[in-house]
Amino acid sequence: MSLLTDLAFEARNTARSVADYVTGTGLRLGVTGLSRAGKTVFITALVQALTTPGARLPVLRAAAEGRITRGVLQPQPDDAVPRFAVEDHLTALTLERRWPESTRRISEIRITIDYERRGGWRPGPASLTLDIVDYPGEWLLDLPLLGKSYAQWSAETLEASAAAARAPLAAAWRGHTALLGADPPASEDEARRCADLFTAYLRASRADLYALSTLPPGRFLMPGDLEGTPMLTFAPLPVAGPARPGSLAAMMERRYESYKALVVRPFFRDHFARLDRQIVLVDALSALNSGPAAVRDLQNAMTDVLQAYRAGRSSLLSTLFRPRIDRILFAATKADHLHHTSHDRLESILRLLVARAIAKAEDVGAKIDVIALAAVRATREAAVRDGRDALDAIVGTPLPGEVIDGQTFDGLAEAAIFPGDLPGDPKAALRGDGLALAEGENDYRFVRFRPPVPEAGPDGAAVLPHIRLDRALQFLLGDKLS
Amino acid sequence: MTETTDARRPRPRAFRLDPAAEGGPAPPAHAPARPAVVVEAQEDAYAREAALQVLPPEEAAVEAAQALGMERRGRRGWGTLFGAALGGLVSLSLWLWIDQLVGNLFARAPALGWFGLGLLALLGVAALALLVRETVGVLRQARVARLHADLAAAHLADDRDAARRLVADVSALYAGRPETARGRAEVGRAAREIVDGRDLIDIAESALLRPIDRAVAADIAAAAKRVSLVTAISPRAILDLLFVAGQIVWLIRRIAERYSGRPGLLGFLKLARSVGAHLAVTGGMAVGDSLVQQVVGHGIAAKLSARLGEGVLNGMLTTRVGLSAMAVCRPMPFAVEKPPGVKDVAPFLFRSEG
Repeated sequence: MSLLTDLAFEARNTARSVADYVTGTGLRLGVTGLSRAGKTVFITALVQALTTPGARLPVLRAAAEGRITRGVLQPQPDDAVPRFAVEDHLTALTLERRWPESTRRISEIRITIDYERRGGWRPGPASLTLDIVDYPGEWLLDLPLLGKSYAQWSAETLEASAAAARAPLAAAWRGHTALLGADPPASEDEARRCADLFTAYLRASRADLYALSTLPPGRFLMPGDLEGTPMLTFAPLPVAGPARPGSLAAMMERRYESYKALVVRPFFRDHFARLDRQIVLVDALSALNSGPAAVRDLQNAMTDVLQAYRAGRSSLLSTLFRPRIDRILFAATKADHLHHTSHDRLESILRLLVARAIAKAEDVGAKIDVIALAAVRATREAAVRDGRDALDAIVGTPLPGEVIDGQTFDGLAEAAIFPGDLPGDPKAALRGDGLALAEGENDYRFVRFRPPVPEAGPDGAAVLPHIRLDRALQFLLGDKLS
Repeated sequence: MTETTDARRPRPRAFRLDPAAEGGPAPPAHAPARPAVVVEAQEDAYAREAALQVLPPEEAAVEAAQALGMERRGRRGWGTLFGAALGGLVSLSLWLWIDQLVGNLFARAPALGWFGLGLLALLGVAALALLVRETVGVLRQARVARLHADLAAAHLADDRDAARRLVADVSALYAGRPETARGRAEVGRAAREIVDGRDLIDIAESALLRPIDRAVAADIAAAAKRVSLVTAISPRAILDLLFVAGQIVWLIRRIAERYSGRPGLLGFLKLARSVGAHLAVTGGMAVGDSLVQQVVGHGIAAKLSARLGEGVLNGMLTTRVGLSAMAVCRPMPFAVEKPPGVKDVAPFLFRSEG
């Protein structure tokens, strides 16, 4: 059965890519990132940069050479998916100076870029259609589940929750599971209680304080309209061998399988299996804030998630029959939270976090780059001299409630922040067991800032400052616009 | 978890800014007794980084010129077809003539026939050698142009892997020249160490190309001197015209030879096309620099004597051609080394004595 579904899936995939190839020049850009990595802000900034004439993108060759005539928002191809609310997000960023709220459901947007081809054998005007999908980052954690059975997933989850960093958070749920006894009978009540406790554990681990990342299944954290369905009412149980019919384990296994079949697989099929380019946004700073255990957890999550993608050099044949991702950009987001002199260190930490994914992608011939990026730049840089110390600091308005150096901010006061130096050796960021470290125990503390006061472009539209967004675009789209 | 921390590592700090006096002294909120903290705005590093990402106009001009000549592929047009067909017919008639000639020789005396056949074999071998040399020359010019463009791109992107590969290619270009041995060793050492892409390219440029640049500048100066002298004393205008043309051809070949190797006849034609294109593009760009000098120089010299003025002008022209040839033939773009101007290479043209 599963083979048949897979075949049907491949066939449909192929049909779509052939259609795409025939109809014209489309590019599907995958914006991947765990929750709070900055996907929504990145997409908003990207749309704004490509559709506002006054945007500053000196590194994007086509823009620097004046060959981009305009970018227009188009109705997206998928009628069943909501449109990405770019206007609302822009209003939030520019007028209210707050970050867009966390994404609760999937949305999609399409932009057409009109440009002038440079030389070549077919000069003249052309256009490129860019499709981008936004979705709650929590859902991404489900992709690795596709290859795991219930028993395997249970064993892994139980083992992970026993680790030093997570044990206190998981205590309530683990205690309950232990009390169940060997092979309990199926009961809806029991299943609900297990699922509730398990969800509470996942939610607690995700909190800012801990900033853990490996927390599947993703819909438990961000259920959308599936809340309370049997599909989301299961939890890992210690299982040995095949489950006895009528037992709690058998019931949970069935639910886990339908979760995979009805939630994860369609999500993967509709939005991830056919991508041309991909940007992976990683918020390393929150994990660094929390401590080395959270950083290692982020590394595991990224490695798991990136296993699910198809990468490789694309040829004409593969473009038609098995589309592949031929360029992957790994971006450490929120680079404006530290001084540009620390960006090299941030990049090397990110390189280490996604080292396995990079090696795998390079093996099959995909092009890789790693950059530190801020889609919307909320700070500027300053030098602080305090007696003998000279510090490279950043100046911005910290979000209300942010604490650093014994001071709590109200969201109105501006401050110069020196967040501390990242370690020169990236491996040092992964060493140790610290989690949810208090401010005084960690060597660095990255404060979150409010969005910047926007500048007005030549025709009155707001222009958002950024860090290396143009470099990211050049890497992802540059060759398609030449 | 701070066991790996260096004790002297600065702690995270925050300094509140007084909204009224941004950029001025702000009192530190946590330690009012200490001397005032100074917060100074820094220049935007990203704008600088972005400015570095765009090809400078000089480099763009060189690449455009190289694309027009050295890298130009044979184009399929009616003219090419005509040329090829005509060439084929001419070769066929030539072959008929040779065939007849050898036949006649054999008819006269077998020994004479064998002698003719031997000459024909020598002709074939020589033609083959010429063909190989021409092909090598053309390919070499195209390779230099590609190297130049790739190095410029790697320099912009600060791409370490590409820089390593390309610098090794440039080193290989000079493998047969004993005078570059020290520079090559230096580049090899730098490539093994951990050096940024941009720095590696800069090191290679000064280690490998600086001596060649100097020799080329001397060649240009010598040619300019000869041209201005001969123009000043030649009795007929046609003579100095021929001399200038000859000197320019010699100079372009010489510069190509110094930077990469003999261009051969076809390679030279392609190269000349690139030099011409570069002259045309940079002619406008150099208005601020040398045109004024040209007018001034010409003016002073012309006041002394009309022929002397013409000599200076021809010398200047030769120098400009030489500099264009230098820009186009150089396998690396100018980065740490300053591209020489007319005045650096041939300062004698600007002194009042000519």
